[in-house]
Amino acid sequence: MKTIFFSGKGGVGKSTLASAVAWQLMEAGNRVLAVSFDPAHNLGDIFHTKLSHRKKRFKKTDLFLQETDLEQSANEYIEANMSLLNEVYSYMQPFNMDSYFNVLKYSPGVEEYAAITAMEKLFREEQENYDYIVIDTPPTGLTLRILALPRITVAWIDRLVKLRKQILEKRYTIHKLSGKYSEKGTKLAYEESEDRVMQKLLEMRERYQNVRNWLESDKNSICVVFNPDYLSLRESQRLMTGVKELDLPMHTVYHNKLDNPNSEIAQKVEQDLLKGRSDVTIERVPDIAEPEPTCYIMDKNLIQTFQENT
Amino acid sequence: MHGGKGGVFARILGYIRFFFSTMDQSHRNKVTEVTEFEVKELENLFVLLLMGSFTGVPSPPSFVAAELLPHLEHEIKVLNERAKDSFDSLADMASLLDID
Repeated sequence: MKTIFFSGKGGVGKSTLASAVAWQLMEAGNRVLAVSFDPAHNLGDIFHTKLSHRKKRFKKTDLFLQETDLEQSANEYIEANMSLLNEVYSYMQPFNMDSYFNVLKYSPGVEEYAAITAMEKLFREEQENYDYIVIDTPPTGLTLRILALPRITVAWIDRLVKLRKQILEKRYTIHKLSGKYSEKGTKLAYEESEDRVMQKLLEMRERYQNVRNWLESDKNSICVVFNPDYLSLRESQRLMTGVKELDLPMHTVYHNKLDNPNSEIAQKVEQDLLKGRSDVTIERVPDIAEPEPTCYIMDKNLIQTFQENT
Repeated sequence: MHGGKGGVFARILGYIRFFFSTMDQSHRNKVTEVTEFEVKELENLFVLLLMGSFTGVPSPPSFVAAELLPHLEHEIKVLNERAKDSFDSLADMASLLDID
């Protein structure tokens, strides 16, 4: 299975190109899943069908469509965790602490976390079922944060694991010397295998490391879509720098809505964008004057680079 | 007679054994006291770091804390104790180092 992310500024045509690529890959004989992580879902509109978080087969072809509702994933995740919290700290319920926990729902980062969790699930569960997963992402800022999250989290968890190890070693020393390790009736763990905090940390680490490995592998590809204007140029530059800093693979950028391939500004934008980047190729996509419902069946072959890279 | 003598010996032996084992235990406790203090500090640090967003230090993503929270009852108690005693940390240190 391969994954292709489409990213870029809002309105540059990420969803359209993602749909086109997904369609063409399917036409080439692949089983394809197109997923939208963008809260402003366009995938359904492009294919003229109503989508939900469940996969839907498109007109009996090998193309499947899905819209991931980040808010719903966030709620699901929080509810799962909150029920565990409420169980453990049940004595807090009389003080209405559960309503305090519920506020966590609005804490920053939950949406990104939900996206990563949904992505991890997707990679894990669908690996055997599809040849390609094409992902339509939310606009730049959120996408970069989502893509950076596994790496940042692994780094943090490593620190916490180190600290936890120290704690457990010292607890072990105390246990060996004085024979105790319990406090007010509760037995404190001094072995890594018995410490639930450590186990949870290691489990989380593995989860994020898997996503990170996937994102950084050659099975993944990040594509940037931009338009011939300076606003989208600047944002695309930021995005490309960000993706490079994260060591994520990027081979193709799409120059979308190109009126006239020779227009001066378009050339300048391309030159600026590719400064010092010999590893990236530009695909030019001409502007389609009428946004036809069939615009995803474009004549231009958009999937060449993926086939070359595979 | 003999039995009586044996009893006295046994009792004396018992006292000696008790004396030494108590001494041993007290020494062991003395040795672990510092380590215990250290563990408490580390546990305190662990939770502080984890919930840094509440205290203003750079912290891991909040969901890492959220996922660990159910297992952190002991550490949170330590954190609270430390916070309560923090105004008198010098006394804490002094008692640990046996300074009167």
